[in-house]
Amino acid sequence: MRLIKETHIKFMDQRRFAFILSAVVILAGLGSLVFQGGPKLSIDFKGGTMIAVTFNEEVDITQVRTSLSLVNVEGQTFDLSKEEIKSFGDPSNISIRISHQEDEPDNFAQSVINHIYKTFPEIVPPEPKDFILSMEKVGPKIGSELRGKAIMAIISSLALILLYISIRFEFRFALGAIAALVHDIVVTVGIFSILGYEISLSIIAAFLTIVGYSLNDTIVIFDRIRENVKKRQRDSYAETVDHSINQSLSRTVITSLTSFLVVLILWLFGGEVIHGFAFAMIIGVVVGTYSSIYIASPIVVQLHASTPTK
Amino acid sequence: MNKKLTPRYVIIGLVLLWAVYSLWPTVQLQTLSEAEVETMREEGNYGALESKAIKQGLDLKGGMYIVLEVDLPALISNLALNRDEKLNQVLKDVTEKMDQPEADFFVLLTQAVTDHKLRLLRYYHEYGSSIDEIITNLKAQADDAINRVLEILRNRVDQFGVSEPTIQKQGEHRIIVELAGIQDPERARALLQSTALLEFFLVKDAEVTNDILTRIDKVLKGSQSLEELAEETEPEDSIIVGEEADKETPVSDDKTISVSELFGETEADITDSAVVDQRLFEDRPFSALLRNFGTDIGIPEKNVYAVKKIINMPEVQEKLNAGNGQFLQSNESEQITNIDGQQENIFRLYYLEKEPELTGGVIEEANERLGSQVGGQPVVLLDMNNEGAKEWARITGANIGRRIAIVLDKKVHMAPSIREKISQGGTQIEGFADMNEAKDIAIVLRAGALPAPVNILEERIVGPSLGADSVKKGTLSVLVGLALVLLFMLFYYKIAGLIADFALIWNILLVLAVLASLQATLTLPGIAALILTVGMSIDANVIIFERIREELRKGKSPKTAIDGGYARALTTIIDANITTVIAALVLYQFGTGPIRGFATVLFWGIVISMFTAIFVTRTIFNTLAQRKGIQRLSI
Repeated sequence: MRLIKETHIKFMDQRRFAFILSAVVILAGLGSLVFQGGPKLSIDFKGGTMIAVTFNEEVDITQVRTSLSLVNVEGQTFDLSKEEIKSFGDPSNISIRISHQEDEPDNFAQSVINHIYKTFPEIVPPEPKDFILSMEKVGPKIGSELRGKAIMAIISSLALILLYISIRFEFRFALGAIAALVHDIVVTVGIFSILGYEISLSIIAAFLTIVGYSLNDTIVIFDRIRENVKKRQRDSYAETVDHSINQSLSRTVITSLTSFLVVLILWLFGGEVIHGFAFAMIIGVVVGTYSSIYIASPIVVQLHASTPTK
Repeated sequence: MNKKLTPRYVIIGLVLLWAVYSLWPTVQLQTLSEAEVETMREEGNYGALESKAIKQGLDLKGGMYIVLEVDLPALISNLALNRDEKLNQVLKDVTEKMDQPEADFFVLLTQAVTDHKLRLLRYYHEYGSSIDEIITNLKAQADDAINRVLEILRNRVDQFGVSEPTIQKQGEHRIIVELAGIQDPERARALLQSTALLEFFLVKDAEVTNDILTRIDKVLKGSQSLEELAEETEPEDSIIVGEEADKETPVSDDKTISVSELFGETEADITDSAVVDQRLFEDRPFSALLRNFGTDIGIPEKNVYAVKKIINMPEVQEKLNAGNGQFLQSNESEQITNIDGQQENIFRLYYLEKEPELTGGVIEEANERLGSQVGGQPVVLLDMNNEGAKEWARITGANIGRRIAIVLDKKVHMAPSIREKISQGGTQIEGFADMNEAKDIAIVLRAGALPAPVNILEERIVGPSLGADSVKKGTLSVLVGLALVLLFMLFYYKIAGLIADFALIWNILLVLAVLASLQATLTLPGIAALILTVGMSIDANVIIFERIREELRKGKSPKTAIDGGYARALTTIIDANITTVIAALVLYQFGTGPIRGFATVLFWGIVISMFTAIFVTRTIFNTLAQRKGIQRLSI
């Protein structure tokens, strides 16, 4: 069976259209980022408390919100009704995300959990230990450290990749590949911003995986270009690139399909904890495949045109 | 079989044997029934088996992950031979700056000392004669302190009885604690964070206490921060009382106290409580927050924070220092019904001597018991060493009739009157909510006090139900994803697909085998990486197969097509996979916990896929191609 027969698509002729498409998506994302004052960071990077608890039955979030308007911890009162409260996977589970409070006592998170547990005695599990699904508390110091580490991780992986491709291919290929990677990350961050999803540690892991995946795709095409440039001296550079993409198209489609399939499964069945990660990967697989063909390759062609041939 | 292929099969066979050997303990562990686990535990074999199996991360089996930091400013302050406002100010400055990421305490301290022109010698002459020398020695003290904290925490956790706890140092001043399957996070947290500083203070007598309350009230009257405070204070207990009275609501005398009334030297004529209340808050802002509580001072729970804030005000601290005293609060509140019929939680407040008579260093043994009194309250029995017992006898003998407060971690557990000299060194502490608390306190007292308090920087708890849910959903996702990819490959590439499927299953088995033998931890992101490996490692075979198809289309024989396909695909596969390996390595380097789990699986998944997808499939292909008379490949 053959899904993709021999194709002769003129990818490079479509590049103007692709650039416009990418520009629109990126601008929308950037617009949303500017509008919201930057990406929505999780408590991993901002510090704060994240609580997920489970009730015996579906719970009314407004009621929980009202109950949180006055939480008393050792004589100190907090109004948490403005914090983000939403259902967590299932309507009987809720998660509460509380930003770092001034003068926060050590047992703050636990006190909030106890407060909710006591407020809804009819619908909570009999044992308090079964009530807590998860609880995370990150101090502001750890938060900013993790932020620094995440940025370092992304920058150093991009730098290493740039180096590797420069050695294995040519510098302009490296530039094309990096442009595609930056494109993928910017698009994914933008889509996350538009949808109001937050960026956590696991999303950073997803970004780096997207980087690895997208690059994998790009290099398979670059490899073909490198091979074909030697063989097809008479064709123009753009034609050679088109031919290379067409030749590897079957592989690109099949691999993207299997990868897409598994991350889709992960998104559908993986559970709430991994939901954000799986979603980032879904975007990443689609965008990564697209960018190899429509961003990385055209940039190599452009750079080739602007540098005098030896 | 062809001679050239024999060594390949030998390698493949050996790897397979190794994989089965590595995974066997995991399989055994998974198939054990609960009764069998219990027998193995009794025989002491369970731990050995468990250590060879793939470990599950806290996010899968549920548990608690805590990053603790030794409170260095407190430690350095404790080490000072004398303390004053200037030293406190410097340490406070440093503490504020410590909030910045990667801040180094001693660099900041040196800087602050220079900035404030603090004469370190005044406070630390025991530690050297120059700033550099003192700082170096203080640093050594800090290193020593963290190692002691580490050991004490290990001791506590061991006695608490958690299976396979991880307690390790991270960086210079942090400690990571991982406790699996914790049922009661609140209890575990208290166990880790308790400084276990046991002190015995004499309680100051009524007149002195009365006097200091008056002084604090006077200080506050002249203070700027009073208005702020009035806003923060729960009004119903203080201000509104007056307003209510204006509306002619009857207000009880008990609702507020006058200081003199509290200590039974009533002079004030409390005929009209409303006026007193009103005047009381204006005149006596501190006392107004307090209550008459038996023979002690009580603080309603709602006022605790305000009282704490007042006590910590510098001008109040100054008065307390001058009087050589301190206020400490009881560890637990008592519920009473006040005159309005409302339930109220009241803490006791004690005014104590500043210096302890005796500290917990003398404790030799601590055990929890049910007390002999009616009701069988839980108590902790203490035994002191010889020196402590002598000292205790002297103190109790010299202070018959006075009260002595037994204080643990700056909270007063009880303050009994000394009736007679205690010569055996035995004593008991009361005031625990339940037996568990008494047991935990006995543990921390036995393990000894921490040299400095520890702060929780980061804390992550996954409940057992969420962990179990993640395992279930993760496994389901892997199986469904795997099944779909296997079916697709079989359908699309026929026999060649079957070979690739075989390689893929093998890939996963090998990754798990490597995890088991590396004693790596499988986390939820790790499972996600396993699924990704399924999707991505099939890529190597797709690249090869597409190449072989191309070669076949050019009319080459199966054998040449296979050779050509593999040869051409090889560089592509290596180049493409190395980039993902780079990403995985970077993630491993920067990540912690679950993210590392992800990076580990991704790394091994990709590396192993190069072995299975290239070496193993090639061997099978060659075997097929060498069979005589093969005309076409099923690809």
